[in-house]
Amino acid sequence: MTVASQVKQSLASLKSIHASFQQFALTSTDEKAQRAFHEAMLLTEEIIADVKQRLSQLEREEPQYHGK
Amino acid sequence: MPIWLEAAIRSVSILIGLFIITRILGKKQLSKLSFFEYIVGITVGDIAGTMSTDLDINLQEGITSILIWSLFPVLISYISLHNKKFRDFVEGNSTVFIKNGKVLEQNLKREKYTIDELMEQLRKKDVFRVADVEFAVLEPNGDLNVLLKREKQPLAVGDVFPNLPSEKEPQTVIMDGKILDEPLATVGLNRGWLKTELDKQGVAVENVFLAQVDSYGQLTIDLYDDKLNVQQPQEKQLLLAAMKKVQADFELFALETQAEEAKQMYEKNAKKLNDLLQKITPLLKN
Repeated sequence: MTVASQVKQSLASLKSIHASFQQFALTSTDEKAQRAFHEAMLLTEEIIADVKQRLSQLEREEPQYHGK
Repeated sequence: MPIWLEAAIRSVSILIGLFIITRILGKKQLSKLSFFEYIVGITVGDIAGTMSTDLDINLQEGITSILIWSLFPVLISYISLHNKKFRDFVEGNSTVFIKNGKVLEQNLKREKYTIDELMEQLRKKDVFRVADVEFAVLEPNGDLNVLLKREKQPLAVGDVFPNLPSEKEPQTVIMDGKILDEPLATVGLNRGWLKTELDKQGVAVENVFLAQVDSYGQLTIDLYDDKLNVQQPQEKQLLLAAMKKVQADFELFALETQAEEAKQMYEKNAKKLNDLLQKITPLLKN
């Protein structure tokens, strides 16, 4: 497995984590829990942006792995 | 009128009357019966029983005495609701037996409590060392309530995870295979959501005996068919595991990569995720 595909896998996991946090933020009934989940969701968004940037960098450096 | 008919009419009307009277007296009477209320209850029951069987008793006399016996407690509880002094007189005061960890002998004597009896009551509360008690009070109804010293109190969740969000009561959304709309609306969900969740678990509404939603919006169900195994919600555990995995991945990438900038980025985000894990774990673990 190439580095790029490993990073892609992590990115996919992060997106799933993001979705789960979003769901919990929406379905929780306690306001404090809602806020905690929402903050977690925003934090994962930041991380996702970072990873995406790194991924495009990798693909630029090693175009043969592009899209794989 | 035949005698049996008169007895029947009397009994039925007294039953209805007693039912109404007990409704007026309220729930408090049941949970916390003082000696006075105990006597009143027995007397009212006795009068009612005699009235329904003994036809020689004049109805007027019977009804008058029942009304007095049952309405007098209502009057007393009404006055004591509004007057603290009267309440103390009627219901009695609590007596402090142990204060600041010291046994108050005078108060024991006043309530005619021996130290043996006090220790027996303490043992009923699983306290075997008097020295563990910070405060103990004898309630008017005869119960002894105990506050343990801080270091002897059992560990609570809040001691381990401070600032934990409160957990709301779960709502029952399906009962006997029927969807209850009101509890669903209380947690801000609808039938469409419920259908999706049931589809995820692969069951139809008709087969569900009971379904509850907890305060995280997770659905737990019980089926009519007990041979089938239902999956308990695992989203939280999965989410926690996924977070741990990504965090570990980041640390690995940080070690593997040659680019200094990427290394820093991975390290920063691994730390972020680690902090988040610390913060969110108490929410996801229960």
